[in-house]
Amino acid sequence: MRVSFNWLRELVPVEETPSKVAELLTLSGTKVEAIHRPGESINGVIVAEVIDIGEHPNADNLSLVEVRINDADTRRVVCGARNFAVGDHVALAPVGSTLPEMAVSERRIRGAISQGMLCSGAELGVSKDHSGILVLPPDSAEGEDVVTALGLDDTILEFEITFNRPDCLGMIGIAREVAALTGTELEMPDAAPATPSDGASPVDVAILDPSGCPRYVARYIEGLRTGPSPGWMATRLAAAGFRPISNVVDTTNYILLETGHPIHAFDADKVTDHQIVVRRAEGGECITTLDGIERTLDAADLMIADPSRALAIAGVMGGADSEVTEGTADVILESAYFDPASVGASSRRHLLRTEASARFERGADFDAAPYAAARATKLIVQLAGGRPSGDMTDAYPVPLERRSISLAPRKTEALLGMRIAAARQVSYLESLGFRVTIGDETLAAEAPSFRPDIQRDVDLIEEVARLAGFDGLPSTLPRGVAGGLDSRQLAERRLRRTLAAAGMHEAWTTSWASERDLDALALPTDHPARSVVEVANPMSEDERHLRTTLLPGLLRSAAHNLAHRVEGVAMFEIARIYRPTGGLPQEPLLLSAVFCGLHRPQRWHGPGEHWSFWAAKGVLEAVLTAMGVGETEWSKVTGMPWHPTRAANITAAGVTLGTMGELHPDVCERFKVEQGAVVAELALGPLVDAQPGRVKVRDLPRFPAAYMDLSVVVEEAVPAQTVETIIRHAGAPELVEVRMFDLYRGEQVPGDHKSLAYGLELRVPDGTLTDTQANQVRDRVIRALHDQAGAELRS
Amino acid sequence: MSDEIDTEVTQLFEGARKEGLSVIETAHDLHALGEAKVRVLGRKSALSSARSGLRGAPEEKRRSLGQLANAVQTELEAAVAAKQRGFEASERAARWDREAIDVTLPGDAPSLGSLHPLTQTVWEIVDIFIGLGFKVAEGPEVELAKYNFDALNTPAHHPARSPQDTFYIKEGEEEFVLRTQTSPMQIRVMESQEPPVYVVVPGRCYRRDVQDATHLSGFTQIEGLAVDEGITMGDLKGSLQLVAREIFGRDLDVRLRPHHFDFTEPSAELDVQCFACRGSGCRICKQEGWIEVLGCGMVHPYLLEWVGYDTHRYSGFAFGMGPERIAALAHGVADIRMFYENDLRFLNQFGGIR
Ligand SMILES: [Zn+2]
Repeated sequence: MRVSFNWLRELVPVEETPSKVAELLTLSGTKVEAIHRPGESINGVIVAEVIDIGEHPNADNLSLVEVRINDADTRRVVCGARNFAVGDHVALAPVGSTLPEMAVSERRIRGAISQGMLCSGAELGVSKDHSGILVLPPDSAEGEDVVTALGLDDTILEFEITFNRPDCLGMIGIAREVAALTGTELEMPDAAPATPSDGASPVDVAILDPSGCPRYVARYIEGLRTGPSPGWMATRLAAAGFRPISNVVDTTNYILLETGHPIHAFDADKVTDHQIVVRRAEGGECITTLDGIERTLDAADLMIADPSRALAIAGVMGGADSEVTEGTADVILESAYFDPASVGASSRRHLLRTEASARFERGADFDAAPYAAARATKLIVQLAGGRPSGDMTDAYPVPLERRSISLAPRKTEALLGMRIAAARQVSYLESLGFRVTIGDETLAAEAPSFRPDIQRDVDLIEEVARLAGFDGLPSTLPRGVAGGLDSRQLAERRLRRTLAAAGMHEAWTTSWASERDLDALALPTDHPARSVVEVANPMSEDERHLRTTLLPGLLRSAAHNLAHRVEGVAMFEIARIYRPTGGLPQEPLLLSAVFCGLHRPQRWHGPGEHWSFWAAKGVLEAVLTAMGVGETEWSKVTGMPWHPTRAANITAAGVTLGTMGELHPDVCERFKVEQGAVVAELALGPLVDAQPGRVKVRDLPRFPAAYMDLSVVVEEAVPAQTVETIIRHAGAPELVEVRMFDLYRGEQVPGDHKSLAYGLELRVPDGTLTDTQANQVRDRVIRALHDQAGAELRS
Repeated sequence: MSDEIDTEVTQLFEGARKEGLSVIETAHDLHALGEAKVRVLGRKSALSSARSGLRGAPEEKRRSLGQLANAVQTELEAAVAAKQRGFEASERAARWDREAIDVTLPGDAPSLGSLHPLTQTVWEIVDIFIGLGFKVAEGPEVELAKYNFDALNTPAHHPARSPQDTFYIKEGEEEFVLRTQTSPMQIRVMESQEPPVYVVVPGRCYRRDVQDATHLSGFTQIEGLAVDEGITMGDLKGSLQLVAREIFGRDLDVRLRPHHFDFTEPSAELDVQCFACRGSGCRICKQEGWIEVLGCGMVHPYLLEWVGYDTHRYSGFAFGMGPERIAALAHGVADIRMFYENDLRFLNQFGGIR
């Protein structure tokens, strides 16, 4: 909502400056988003009359225009536009004048001297129209400063009006706020008819759906002449963002701006029998609206019709074939009150938000319909001639009642935590148009018809509070409870910190996904990630699903970095995925990670290292340990998106944690991480639930340990973890630590075999281990390895 | 014994001294010094043989000659020791030279990762509320339309409900939406417990906004709710003032400005004095001098009634803020889409483990 300050001052005798008024309004809830001063940067531009349009000697597309700025003085300017004629008034920017975007100097254009320029609306900053120069209203005076002629010596306040305040979508509503804030009186524009009524109304109104249309006021005006609007009206409409069309149509828009009440004018000749029928649409009914679009109506659409056809979608937009046009002589004015829900539904159904629908769907003023009609009639008669024919029709089968709400002034003070005397509360409410009756402990406030938002006592408290000013509220603190994070929330924070400390960067990616992501991962059709939650109205093809895996987002982030020459990527994300259930989806958290490129860059004392499965596994193992997850088991996994022989399922105590491995090279290629990537995707639950618990310290050993190395040769197919497990079991209880330190394949072992070397630490709690005891353990281990894994001692 | 002998012995000592000093002097390293030491102080040294001459010296001279012998010995020992210290010092000096390093060469740092700036911002905000006695909850992103709108007092015909503004989900019978705010968690939390309620809820929300530098179709919100006996709007103002100053600067002005939300009454927006221009108006605050940072208000009794709380006994305040916006303001990020691009050149700037 854009409000002319000059116009505002006609409605309320405010003394304060525009900035001060803007501040008062902002701090009472009617927020001024911006203040524009359109005339500020225009200097020396004047109204001139075109007296001659001649050819430019050297250019077909230019003309030499002679304009007169007073009886004695003319200017000759070069002009490229042709949308004007001799006799028109135009805006001349003579040499030395300034416009918002330029200073005008004498120029030679294709050999002809131009003593200034004729301005377009865009050049003056009054519209976005570049197509031609701005033709001024004929009532502007030659030589007059364009700033005053166009009413640009004004300040425009641009408001953000919240959904609950439709009354502030009109000048009168804003003026009422200003009056309440400055202790002045609102002066309502005169709507009294110039001539008394001459009989019954020629318009017949039948409301077939009184719940959709509680009230319909119609007024017949005959014998008018359409034409351009006067300058003052065109200026005000333009300042508010409306394009001036003709005096009748402009008046309906002007009344909408002034009163906040939308009205519509039909060409009376196009309304069969001058009969208005308000009804729901019929099956298959169509209407071509003013925007030229043919719309098929829904049975729930409320229509304004005549006996033969639909004329308008009620409260949203009129039809093209009953539009007021140049030849219109008689009009039927509509000023109605429509049900907000009905208008809102039609507006959404037809994706059609108009100035009218925005007001009706928020709730218009049900008492304002006759006033708006009378005010419009007065203006139309004034601007377009003609005269009202007969009475106004006011179809109002079941009058709507103003809501009366009781409020205990004490409650205002209790809820705000601030003292405001009851009398003061009453005066605030009265200044906003409430009718207040005072009782013993409570007061009763009757809400004005233009305040649909006032429903219960807290709404009154808000009115009091915002007029009293939030500045006066004390600053206190509530008592609170024992706040803090629960154990899972703490664990999740610890996990994120540990991952970062381990060198990983945390990523946040969006929740959107699509079939394409799952195809790029080459997931089989029965893969659980293929079962997705679908968005009914996605904004793009790539956002049709909610994600079921974090990998595509992370891989895209990795690819983005590699493309920007980042050499190594180690990233994780902890976020939700979404699994359909038929009801509310499950939203479990996952931890996913991607490692690619350099793990360590080349340094001056060492070579660079790329991320390998084992480097990534090491990070994960360290993190799992930190989270208190015990022994993990790693078993090979196959199937997309994994490298067929380089990926593992991870379990701990029989619980599946997730999967880690190299990505299949085809998948890497599709995600543009051609050098390959190691990725992991784990369920977060087991990690944050593990909870290491309180540490119980073991005594430090008092006797020395025995250390020995053991190299065994096994078949390739035997996993290292199997060998280690056998060693641990067979070596217990003396064996306290096993560490693998070498892996060898080559000439010294048979083909298809490998040699694994382990360092063993043995100890007994109550003494020093003897050589004999140590050798017994060693023999047990060797025998077990032989029996269970076919291992031979490496000689 | 005669004086001749006396003189002779004296000369012997004198000779041992001179020779000894010269031998020590010519030793050119520690090894040679060892040999020299044996030669001038050992059993076969001139000093040693001179001492044996003492036995023939007369009784009355023996004492002064003995003193002379000791003086010579002490002098020679001191000369050896001094020489040795000299050699040791230069050997150490040579070692230090050999072991010299360039301390300006780069260190071999373990690579530290980083927490995402939005994680850091959410934690920072949540922690302030924890300090005020709040707990933390999370809730579903796919939400019943009933919770996202109806329970929050959204008018039935409010445009926010339209499929132009809100994502709807194809699932089962009930109407599901992607929550447009974390506010439905106000209802879920209150349904799950009796007052007092002090909770903050961080989480992802979704709106059908065309993405630009300040809008995302998926974004983060932090909801807050306090419901207790005697909660006032002053409590709301005090709590949020404190939080805003902790985040943006303790010396900044904070103001509460009336606004409208369906689920609070009275409602307000909280503005913080622009930290860049201190209120005089600049590009960051769009010349207003103030920056809007959150929406808030007193919990609408409609919500309390919905969950069955006694509205005569309990009142509350609620608020919602956007970590993307707050992080963007705090760190000078011009385009909030940066937060979801995960460009390491961006993330690294938030490095270190905070
Ligand atoms: Zn600023």
